[in-house]
Amino acid sequence: MKVIAAATVPTVVDVRSPLTIAVDPESREWLESLKSSGARRDDAIARLHAILVRAARFEIARRRPGLPHLRGDDLDDIANEAADDALMSVLRRLDDFRGASRFTTWAYKFALLETAVKLRKRAWQGRELPLEPESWTLFASTGLQPDAAAEQGAVLAALQEAINDVLTPHQRRVLIALALNGVPIDVLADRLNTNRNALYKTLHDARRKLRKHLDEQQLSPDAWLEEK
Amino acid sequence: MEHPDIKQTVGRLLGPAQPEVSCDVCFDELDRYVELEVAGTDADSELPGLRAHLEGCPACREEHDSLLALVSGDDR
Repeated sequence: MKVIAAATVPTVVDVRSPLTIAVDPESREWLESLKSSGARRDDAIARLHAILVRAARFEIARRRPGLPHLRGDDLDDIANEAADDALMSVLRRLDDFRGASRFTTWAYKFALLETAVKLRKRAWQGRELPLEPESWTLFASTGLQPDAAAEQGAVLAALQEAINDVLTPHQRRVLIALALNGVPIDVLADRLNTNRNALYKTLHDARRKLRKHLDEQQLSPDAWLEEK
Repeated sequence: MEHPDIKQTVGRLLGPAQPEVSCDVCFDELDRYVELEVAGTDADSELPGLRAHLEGCPACREEHDSLLALVSGDDR
């Protein structure tokens, strides 16, 4: 393992731009229909709901191997609930659609998000979240060449020190739950009464502190991490 | 031998080395990013920071992978 000096500490960037793109004819038809009234709008909403159900079922099918505890009826209910919630989100945010993609692609993502969040929460329903940091340890690899073992040991020791001493209790709890214990971010956000974006900001800030601590000790494991 | 999970663990702890977008920005731009990918355009130049976020956020990455698979299937 090569330990090299001073990696840059990553920052958050915002690439959103007020771009205005010519909306394709099919997407324009969706928008006009959904913003109309009467039978035309009702028909568009029914068509939209159908494609959202399709996207929800697609997401469920992708995750099905990891969902042995859920029966077919449960999964149908989840697909329909996710599509209903996604439909509400799409209709509420119609004015946000800027034509940067096809309307259907834009709409799909709401159904996929709603379905994924519901499935993550169902998978962790009733389970105690491993939030406590007392019992974690970073184990070094064994059998490495002495130089590599020493370098890896230095990184792991510095990381452990940073997690214990540099992070706030909240940052430590979030980092350990998400990065070490594999708690899904939506599940943790739900339990902590926050949201995914805010929780990821906490994780991001914690990671920046860890990287800064390693930088100060002239340690950076990025080259090692990129090695196959 | 090297512990098989130690790199993954350290990688998850440190997150991406590059600047990244937030979860909200990722969601806002995900449809555009995926269509650029499907079209074979350089999505990472168009939307810098999104790929790094997908590396650092498993939930957003799963949703990206699903949208890419769904849209790719539609285009076949």
